[in-house]
Amino acid sequence: MEKTRISSIQLFMLLSGFLFGSTVILTPAQGAGNDAWLALLLGGACGALLMMVYAAIALLNPSKTLVDILRERLGNVVGNIFAVLYVWYFIHLASLVFRDLGEFICTVTFPETPMVVVIGLFAVVLVYAVNSGVEVMGRLGELLIPVIPLVALIISLSLIEVHDFTAFLPILENGIQPVLKATLSYITFPFGETVAFLMLFPHLNKKENLKKVVFVSAIATTLIGIVIFFRDIFVLGAELMDRATFIPHLTSLLIPGLNVEPLVDINLLIGGGTKISVCIYAAARALSQIAGIDDYRHLTVAISTFCVVLSIWAFDNIIELFSWTEKVWALYSIPFQIAFPLLLLLLSLRKKQSTRMQIKR
Amino acid sequence: MIVVLAVFAVLILYDSQKFIRKKVQARVYALYIFFMAASLAVSLLLAAGRRPSSPSEWIEAIFRMIGVLK
Repeated sequence: MEKTRISSIQLFMLLSGFLFGSTVILTPAQGAGNDAWLALLLGGACGALLMMVYAAIALLNPSKTLVDILRERLGNVVGNIFAVLYVWYFIHLASLVFRDLGEFICTVTFPETPMVVVIGLFAVVLVYAVNSGVEVMGRLGELLIPVIPLVALIISLSLIEVHDFTAFLPILENGIQPVLKATLSYITFPFGETVAFLMLFPHLNKKENLKKVVFVSAIATTLIGIVIFFRDIFVLGAELMDRATFIPHLTSLLIPGLNVEPLVDINLLIGGGTKISVCIYAAARALSQIAGIDDYRHLTVAISTFCVVLSIWAFDNIIELFSWTEKVWALYSIPFQIAFPLLLLLLSLRKKQSTRMQIKR
Repeated sequence: MIVVLAVFAVLILYDSQKFIRKKVQARVYALYIFFMAASLAVSLLLAAGRRPSSPSEWIEAIFRMIGVLK
């Protein structure tokens, strides 16, 4: 086990940056139209609960990573199989975020640059960050993540004069069904994805703060998400929001006499960078534990290269990417984000109970 | 195609000299070769304009097969 430690504030920043991730350019729960704020509220509450499940698993198995927990609870063979599946999931998640970032940069900022160049150069920086270790990632988070809400605030305040406060009405025009569907997709993207943090939680220096840190970051991200949604819908209106691809970017273009477009890019680089580096770290560390390799750094370049190639390979175009994430991602994520963690929680609780009974006897 | 080969050559040379210097385990070589070979194969196919069906498509096909997706 690596002896590096991160503070509660560093974990809070990493979690918040991870949750912001691609959501700084893509509005989650967009499927619910002008009722998306309801989906954000419900999804935020359920997402916070889900993250508390991950925190509970980590607290019931102190100083153990996801791979250790899987092996201990399910046995070596089954545990290793599940761990390999998680490695795949983290790699796939990193590649999706790479693609989101590449699509955004190549559509909006550098339309003439090939996507593989944008993604490849970003990957080089992230490999350097991941190879520097968890402490450096934590310190980077501490330094950079506060920029994200600051930028959101600057854009929101700049647009204070451009608004229609009734744009989110009528409430539940299409019934509750789209809201529930959007809630599920908001739980799986981004809250459920924090399952990758089960590889990072053992590095927290004060374990007693874990639940508080997780809860506060989930609530803070939800609140900022709701503020951003209301800003976007007040400025763009429900119809334009429904048709737009990168909503926060489009909103930022409407600020009269001011170009804050690069700020959205910066937000994406920070949020997306944090998310990808956590995923690559989780994948490399999990794989090195499975294979019994002493240093995860030996695998980061190979895994990152595969992520870059997968991000280009996975989809032909942006429409395919969005359609796949809308249709398949939530279903595909349920076992990794909800089913397996709940199973681990139950097994960990049972183990704790049986240990208590043995002590009583 | 040549650019792809050059990029992979640089990456592999850079890493392999590190591996030799640190005398890493054989498992590291095995995993490294697996990931790099897969990446190189897909990259060459993509560069040649013959995109193979991707894991995302396989996942979607599995969901359709078991009836979760319509």
